[in-house]
Amino acid sequence: MASGSGYFATTYEADLRLVDTPLRWSALCALVIALTALPLLASPFVLELVTQTALAAVGALALNILTGLAGQISLGHAGFIAAGAFTTAMLVEAGWGSPLATIPSAAVVGAALGVAVGIPALRLKGLYLALGTLAMHYVVLYAAGELQTRWGSNTGYTIPPPRLFGLVLKGTLSWYYALVFIAAVVLLVSVNLTRSRAGRAFMAIRDREIAAASVGIHVARYKVLAFVTSSVITAVAGALFAYYRGFVSVEAFSLFLAVEYIAMVTIGGLGSALGAVLGAAFVTLLPYAIDGVVGRLELPGGTEYYLFPAKFGAFGLLMAAFLIFEPEGLVGIWRRVRNWFALWPFRRRPLRSAS
Amino acid sequence: MSALLELTNVEVAYHHVATAILGVSLRVPARSIVALLGTNGAGKTTTLRAVSGFLGADNARVVDGRISFLGQLINGRPPHELCRRGLVLAPERDKVFETLTVHENLRALVPGRRDGVAGTPVTIDQVLHYFPILADRRRQLAGYLSGGERQMLALATALLCQPAVLLVDELSLGLAPLVVETLMMLVRRLRDELGLAVLLVEQNAGAALEIADHGYVMEHGRIVYDAPARQLMAHADVREFYLGLGERTLRKRYTDVKQYRSRRRWL
Amino acid sequence: MTQVLATTLVVASLYALLGAGYVLVYRASRVLNLAQGDLLTLGGYLLFAVTATVGAVPAVAVPLAVALSALTGFVIYQVLIRPMAGHPVFAAVLVTVTLGILLRAGIVLVFADRIRHPLPMLGWSNPPVALPGGSVLSAFDLATLGTAVVVFGALFAFLRFSPVGIQMRAAGERALLASQRGINFQFVFALAWALAALCGGLAGMLYACNVRLEPSLDVLGLKAFAVALVGGLDSLAGVIPAALIVAGIEVLSVRYGDPLLSDVSPFLCLLAMLLIRPWGLLGTREELDRV
Repeated sequence: MASGSGYFATTYEADLRLVDTPLRWSALCALVIALTALPLLASPFVLELVTQTALAAVGALALNILTGLAGQISLGHAGFIAAGAFTTAMLVEAGWGSPLATIPSAAVVGAALGVAVGIPALRLKGLYLALGTLAMHYVVLYAAGELQTRWGSNTGYTIPPPRLFGLVLKGTLSWYYALVFIAAVVLLVSVNLTRSRAGRAFMAIRDREIAAASVGIHVARYKVLAFVTSSVITAVAGALFAYYRGFVSVEAFSLFLAVEYIAMVTIGGLGSALGAVLGAAFVTLLPYAIDGVVGRLELPGGTEYYLFPAKFGAFGLLMAAFLIFEPEGLVGIWRRVRNWFALWPFRRRPLRSAS
Repeated sequence: MSALLELTNVEVAYHHVATAILGVSLRVPARSIVALLGTNGAGKTTTLRAVSGFLGADNARVVDGRISFLGQLINGRPPHELCRRGLVLAPERDKVFETLTVHENLRALVPGRRDGVAGTPVTIDQVLHYFPILADRRRQLAGYLSGGERQMLALATALLCQPAVLLVDELSLGLAPLVVETLMMLVRRLRDELGLAVLLVEQNAGAALEIADHGYVMEHGRIVYDAPARQLMAHADVREFYLGLGERTLRKRYTDVKQYRSRRRWL
Repeated sequence: MTQVLATTLVVASLYALLGAGYVLVYRASRVLNLAQGDLLTLGGYLLFAVTATVGAVPAVAVPLAVALSALTGFVIYQVLIRPMAGHPVFAAVLVTVTLGILLRAGIVLVFADRIRHPLPMLGWSNPPVALPGGSVLSAFDLATLGTAVVVFGALFAFLRFSPVGIQMRAAGERALLASQRGINFQFVFALAWALAALCGGLAGMLYACNVRLEPSLDVLGLKAFAVALVGGLDSLAGVIPAALIVAGIEVLSVRYGDPLLSDVSPFLCLLAMLLIRPWGLLGTREELDRV
């Protein structure tokens, strides 16, 4: 993790370490303490926001594995979430509502869908892959819609709070700890992936597929693995989504949801786990921020009328601004700030670009 | 005679930190052929890019110096504007539009400087007179032409832009020696008949010096030697390293090369 | 049976107009303009707004709306697409998605989320026309068909024979070489976007007069991108057979199958095409490697 300030790793172990300097260890400990102690200091509303961010972060990290790490552009993320959510809904309808049954089943369904999408995707690259996944999104939603009209209630499925070993997951506090913990686990998995063999293979495929193949990486296998890894995590996120909202209906999984997740990884910074988390926070908190701003301004005709298009429009505007002016996203901004402090009084990093 | 194209002390840097060329000064007078020689990495392409205006793609900038064309400063002007003013480039790669026919290639450009300065207007028929092969291949897609024909098409389209100065990047790249000779003769004809000024950037020093009037040699981003072409061809170091006509008939041994390194011939 | 045929032709005309927009943009900017559907909606609303301002004077309102559509495309290129020149394709596609979001938000903010009918405001009507063979189409159905034919003919002639058209094809292939040959490719690309917005806008105006106008019309654009891909993203000629095929399958599935299936059938065609022949019916295979 070179930052151009003269800090070099001298052994392989040191290079592979996730947390390498004492400063980083202290920062990490402080963060863990802050997150654990937050319920004592913050209002339930803030806890709610953090919980939603954590849930979004799980999906964003999964998308980052596929798109940022392995370079496979996917616009079909909403389809995978829907798969996980609908699996949960169907199992609840069938009477098997325990998380021990639904979450592994969601993972399996997600894996199957990942294989189903990943194998045809081997033929496609870039723009064509994005469009293929977009088409797949519509097909999955059509299947989900058919399922909803033919089996179960036409307006959607209600999901009761999950019960595990006698504990019920209900209420802001429990969901906060549960989702933050799960998000932390997924973050750890994601970061660890970058220093594993599979992760290096993903990055090689992303950068130069032909060169990766000529070095002996089995491109097809790793591409499908990327799809499957991402879809399993996303389907589990979908199951959690179902439990958290308590309601599953096909309208909730529109293309806009996929766009939101893409925005999360893009605004956050493509290819970086930290970016996925920052992007998830940004996209989740933005509607609330706009609510606050629109609420302060006094608009004639009632504020509710302007709220939806304003949120929509502001989201689009910010996304466009990030894409045009800050292609490296929030992580890019963070790195520039960090490098400025680390490099001072020098101004420019040496030419070899690092993290 | 004042030069049509003049570089004075030009310095180009990549990414703000890496200097590619330093202190480069050269002039291309009217009705002459100037050769710019050097091995790979010497900085010839960077110089050409600085003149023809597309450094920005590589995050490079002209940091110092003046580039003037027809007496006007042209640092950093975009390529299409330079083309309209009469400074035309025949590039090294991507020389023709492959999905268009030869005829459409010849039509897909914007000729015409309105200022009426030096440079003879050229019509399509005149161009086909210089490159008769293209007339035969009018309806063929340019992507299916052979290497020599492509280079001819590239030169033809460059001519149709009515250049006052023609920049030619690596004319001989990938072409058979006989084809290279034909093309070089053609460039000389263009200078004689149309009064063209040509800056020829070449790795094939022999072919370039055959037709050039003046030559510059670049190494490591600087001009190390410039002289009229005759003098260049007679210079011992140029003969040895760029023309391959050294006095020794045997391959150099390591000790011989090591000896050379300490001799510092250029200065 | 002839009714199915007639309806297919009309639906195909609409898709073809949108598909032409996709191809023009792809040839210029190498990106799929996922906001093309919103440009269709915008066209309809521009007609509505112009008519509301100018009154029931179709001879003025229609050309003005068309010109405004084209101008929008020009502006979109300069503001959103041109800054994305060096960025990866992914980012450029996302910019078009954000463009769609912005257009949609803007339309709802200005015009409110209601269904409108510009046709009576123009002073025109849409009577049914009986055709040989027993099928019936509305007047604007026929207008859609006619407009598509005229627009395609004009585009082909423009790209093949006119100097600017050849320059557009040249710049779309190699922008740098075009620049070195004196072509101001930024202007040419902006023109391509203007033409694409014009095609989309025309489709929108025709649909608004024929059926209705509401902000959610962009789904038509999404179905039409399947048409562009099936025909070959870089082939204008490919749009025609692709539009006929996709429209045909959709009309047949509405007639003999499940209405929900008709919404997803263009995407099934798309997926099938991507698996069998990713570069489309008439696209160039080398295009696949360029992305």
